[in-house]
Amino acid sequence: MRIAFIGKGGAGKSTIGSTFARLLARRGNNVVAVDSDPMPGMCFGLGLGVSDQPIPDDAVVEKLEGQPGARFRLRPGLDSVTALKQFAMIGADNVRLLSFGKTRGEWGDIARGQHAWSQILDELPTDEFDLIGDLPGGTRQPMTGWGKYADALLVVVEPTAKSIATAIRLSTLRDSKWNYREVVAVVNRVSEPGDAAMVELRTGLTVVGAIPLDSEVGAADRLGLAPLDVAPHSSFVESVDALVSACVLRFSSDQLNFSGTIVPKESFV
Amino acid sequence: MSSLATSTTTSTAPTKTPSTLSDLSVTDTRSASSESGLGTNPERSSIKIAVVGKGGSGKTTASGILARALARRGVSVVALDCDTNPNLGISLGVGDDETERLAAIRQVLDDEGIGHAPSWDELIDRFGSDAPDGVRLAVVSRIENPEPG
Repeated sequence: MRIAFIGKGGAGKSTIGSTFARLLARRGNNVVAVDSDPMPGMCFGLGLGVSDQPIPDDAVVEKLEGQPGARFRLRPGLDSVTALKQFAMIGADNVRLLSFGKTRGEWGDIARGQHAWSQILDELPTDEFDLIGDLPGGTRQPMTGWGKYADALLVVVEPTAKSIATAIRLSTLRDSKWNYREVVAVVNRVSEPGDAAMVELRTGLTVVGAIPLDSEVGAADRLGLAPLDVAPHSSFVESVDALVSACVLRFSSDQLNFSGTIVPKESFV
Repeated sequence: MSSLATSTTTSTAPTKTPSTLSDLSVTDTRSASSESGLGTNPERSSIKIAVVGKGGSGKTTASGILARALARRGVSVVALDCDTNPNLGISLGVGDDETERLAAIRQVLDDEGIGHAPSWDELIDRFGSDAPDGVRLAVVSRIENPEPG
């Protein structure tokens, strides 16, 4: 599956996304966590601490004047799978972490990494790797196609006015040129029984997962550690695992027929 | 009158975006504002404060409270929402619908093809909205629809 988490800043995209990636990897999948947020996010949940491995300069070439496409690309002869295996960091549960350039250095340096990673995502074989993306908070990057490698966008929404306002704006991505199959919601920090229904009603997005407010996540965040390592039996981890199950059913490529529509599992029997 | 611009923006808009951010980074237009004491002598000083930080850390909420608390002390306050996902209206208490309705200065000026922007006070008059406690709220730029195909 290829999905990306979007939503308001602080909604929980990185924590949910990194936990999701590891739980999916534990089911035997080859998982790539795609962190395009310029602040450290998914690395904590993947047990890597603050880390950012930029793509080496000699792996990227600048296009010649007049050539079409992005300004930078992988050097000729370097294919996407090789680049991924060489340059992605390996996190817990063997999740590979593709980290886009962080906010250091000049724009040109950041563009090198971003363009190269975009090319890798475009060219990776879809049946070999699952991509779990984490976009910057807010609307800017999602609205300019930073999640276009994904089949489905999962909007992380808290049951608060600002988070819901953001989710309503993001719901317009259903009709974008990138043809996402689905834009759905994951409700985070649920503390009252009606929270998921309220989010569904107000955003118009189908809720595919609900994750309770869990003090064990806060404790892990304080330490900069993964909830999956310090609180493996927490309600947070349990509900992210349920989200993984729901997404495997809903978004796995083997659940898609040739027209690209989602068909129920029974029809494969 | 003293004016104070409280701006809010996400912390890490990478690379090209910070043009607005750097314009609005913490700037004290009169270096010794503490000398007069903000609010006690509003004729003497005006300051600009930019609130920055990680997503979800409370920038918008803090900005809304700061703006209204200063306004209640008699300071003339402009609250400028510099986040492209603007929610400051919600925190100031103007409500979800009004927050959504507020036009963004930059988009309107772009649409109208105005080469030279009017002065800042014209902009605030034309695009601003009245929030509680006399705070004047304006939105700089909003991005809430996908790039057209």
